[in-house]
Amino acid sequence: MQCPGNMTLLKNKIIWKGRGNKSPLSFDVLIDRIMLFLVVGSLLLFILYPIFMVISTSVYRHGVFSLDNYRDLLSPGNLKLIKNSLFVSTLSSVLGTFLALCIALYTFLQKERIGALIYRLLMTTLISPPFVSALALIMLFGRRGLITYNLLGLSVNPYGWQGIVLLQTLGLISLAAIMLISALNAIDKRLLLASRDLGASALQTLHRVILPSIYPAILSVLFLLFTINMADFGTPIIIGGKFKVLATEAYMTIFSAADLGKAAAMSVLLIPPAIIAFYFYRKNLEKNNSLADGVKALGGEGLDFRLPLFIRIALGTITGLFFFLMLLKYGNIFLSAVTINVSGKLTFTWKHIEAFQFAYLPAVYRSLSMAVIAGILASVIGILLSYYTHRRQLPLMKPIEFIASLPYIIPGIFFGLGYIVGFNNHPLLLTGTTAILVLNCTFRHISVGNKAANAAFENLDRRLEMAARDLGASPVRILTTVIFPLLKSTFLLSFINTFTACMTTVGAIIFLVSPRNVVASVLMFKDITNGHYGLGAVVASVLIIVTVAVNLAAIKYLGREGGKPYVA
Amino acid sequence: MLLELKGITKLFDKDNGVRDFNLTVSEGEFITLLGPSGCGKTTTLNLIGGFLQPDRGEIRIKGRDITHLPPEKRPVSTVFQSYALFPHLNVLENVAYGIRFYRKEKKKQALSLAREYINIVRLEGYEKSKVGNLSGGQQQRVALARAMATNPRILLLDEPLSNLDASLRHSLREELKSLQRQLGITMIFVTHDQSEALSLSDRIVVMDKGYAIQIGTPREIYFYPISDYVAGFIGKSNILTRVGETIMVRPEDIKMAKNAQGDYTISSIVFMGQHTEYIISAENTTLEVVVVGKENNNFMQGDRVNVTISHQLGQMGNEDISLVPELK
Repeated sequence: MQCPGNMTLLKNKIIWKGRGNKSPLSFDVLIDRIMLFLVVGSLLLFILYPIFMVISTSVYRHGVFSLDNYRDLLSPGNLKLIKNSLFVSTLSSVLGTFLALCIALYTFLQKERIGALIYRLLMTTLISPPFVSALALIMLFGRRGLITYNLLGLSVNPYGWQGIVLLQTLGLISLAAIMLISALNAIDKRLLLASRDLGASALQTLHRVILPSIYPAILSVLFLLFTINMADFGTPIIIGGKFKVLATEAYMTIFSAADLGKAAAMSVLLIPPAIIAFYFYRKNLEKNNSLADGVKALGGEGLDFRLPLFIRIALGTITGLFFFLMLLKYGNIFLSAVTINVSGKLTFTWKHIEAFQFAYLPAVYRSLSMAVIAGILASVIGILLSYYTHRRQLPLMKPIEFIASLPYIIPGIFFGLGYIVGFNNHPLLLTGTTAILVLNCTFRHISVGNKAANAAFENLDRRLEMAARDLGASPVRILTTVIFPLLKSTFLLSFINTFTACMTTVGAIIFLVSPRNVVASVLMFKDITNGHYGLGAVVASVLIIVTVAVNLAAIKYLGREGGKPYVA
Repeated sequence: MLLELKGITKLFDKDNGVRDFNLTVSEGEFITLLGPSGCGKTTTLNLIGGFLQPDRGEIRIKGRDITHLPPEKRPVSTVFQSYALFPHLNVLENVAYGIRFYRKEKKKQALSLAREYINIVRLEGYEKSKVGNLSGGQQQRVALARAMATNPRILLLDEPLSNLDASLRHSLREELKSLQRQLGITMIFVTHDQSEALSLSDRIVVMDKGYAIQIGTPREIYFYPISDYVAGFIGKSNILTRVGETIMVRPEDIKMAKNAQGDYTISSIVFMGQHTEYIISAENTTLEVVVVGKENNNFMQGDRVNVTISHQLGQMGNEDISLVPELK
């Protein structure tokens, strides 16, 4: 190697970083502290405090500690509601889990490309404003339904518990199937080979190896669906008819009776199944982690694994039927947006779109900005939380991280109620503002970015940060010049997840909106409950189109960056 | 003294860490920390780099205590194992990183200074390349340039050659040595490879279980190891006992002569090209012998031989070797 003349500089005097040494609180360190304080402080204020407020509201009546709210829940009328809730939720969760398992198995056993296609379709069907299934059911199979009335000349009554079960089952299959496919993909493929090698048939392998491996995942999905269905007030309101459930009653109690104590007690009842779901979810994660040290390089390709024909046909039929219904649903939504069904004849109309343009654009705009801001905030906070917890390994951050995961597991109705009771007084008066919606959406979804960042940090060589420090970068500089650029795809992933959820959510924010700050998804819910199906269909279409467009853009960008389009 | 480590102790648990480590390094020296994995050599490097805080002891550079300075304020730079190049930056930006943040130069000035270091490691033309697209040897050069670009008083290198294939490792070793000689940079080098240590170092620190077992020049370490551990770790050795003292004899210091009535029988021959390794055994004695050159053609497995040992304590014949405890 050559030694150029100017290289004497290597023997220069030591460059001491003079000023920084003396005061331990240099500017950058100060910024670091402030960020940490903001992350921790905001999580405590916007997650822990509202949760605490719900529980405290439920055990106080007229300012005195009492368990009357809970005692009242056991009145005969309420017991009937609880029974109804348990019946409907159990039935739809079991059905949903079973059908999702069938679809997941079918996907798992397909060739890689077909499997990936089904997976993508499932991801797409996740983008669905709530209750559009109910809308579709009523418009296709209702009293004046396109299929039942127009085509078959029947007048069917879709209202009642059967309708609730049908919609709740169908509504959560995509989510459940995606979770189960992830669990199936985590199985070490060599186990399947070993099982076959040791003389087990494909069916025996399914029974003895595959199903036991994903058992915790199945339980986790089952309880997750149960939690979501228990807390679902929208579907029973729209399709339940006379059939009432606990969540509907809680919703009504907040809106008409304004008895927050009673509503709080009701939503506390929704917590235990959520905790069980979370327990199995964690257990499943741990199991996958402990198995993950083995090599999983061996993909499904070339792996000969065929279940008996009749099982394959059954699984395929269920999968096909599901996607057919989804097609029907989305088709109907778009169709209903531009048609009107008058006395058994379907006619094209601009009426709904005109009505939409006239009144709804500000709400759509508000939805969009709320989802964008919440998406950015939730992702940044989630990544920072992961950085301080796992990268810097600061003390006491683990419990903080647990707090951040709470809103994800507790029902939206609970979290929404927390914001009503927590932020209706000075100095925290936020009721009726757009800020309260943004905050609620943001802190509901910290967990997504946090989990994604945890996974990304696992794969990021710690020596990169050591190198950056070694080269003179302060912790804040490392964040801006190394961590954030490298976690760009994690950020985007977390952003689209939060964005999608916020665009389509109703459960948590319906209690927080007023005419001043109403958003599109809530308007859609009100239209459907009021029977303005055409207008509801326009809002649903707009929400779907906008959300899909943003998702596609993000996936395309991720693909260009060479990142994975999704982390299952 | 440029660098002083005084009584450094850093324990992760009962078995892992560094214990009471003392070392002084002068300007321009090339020091190697040598030992098996888990011996504490990387820990020592990380303590000097500031990535770890010692439990006890102090670290001084030019007499100034830097024990509690964070890495970004220490006048040392590290070339990391597997390099830790920033994957989102190109070669030029990687090298300029430390110039911007450590030397606090403006971006434009930093980039132009970075070019000089890229020239030193002969990577002209690769300035805009993504580091992920470079070969292992090129990545190694980028890491070296990046670390040198902060003008460190001491360059720390953590097994920088271990990810490269054999021939590349050899040529980069030469380059590293000549760079060090020409620029006069003080280097502390971590490796588990004895030939790297012997060929590069001014002094070697042999480490085991967190202790510095022996510090000395390559010749001292090779010819006068203070323990069987050091002798065994660097090169092959026969540990012999003669009149109450234990001595170490290198296999190449044993001469074999064919003799039909010889005390030893050749039990194994491994031909290595440059030299040939023999294992010869008598009744309760086994020796390892290395012979260089064509002379090797004379020996066959099963041949009987006599040996002479040239040793600093004088010549020894067969009769002097009273006991051979074990073959290392």
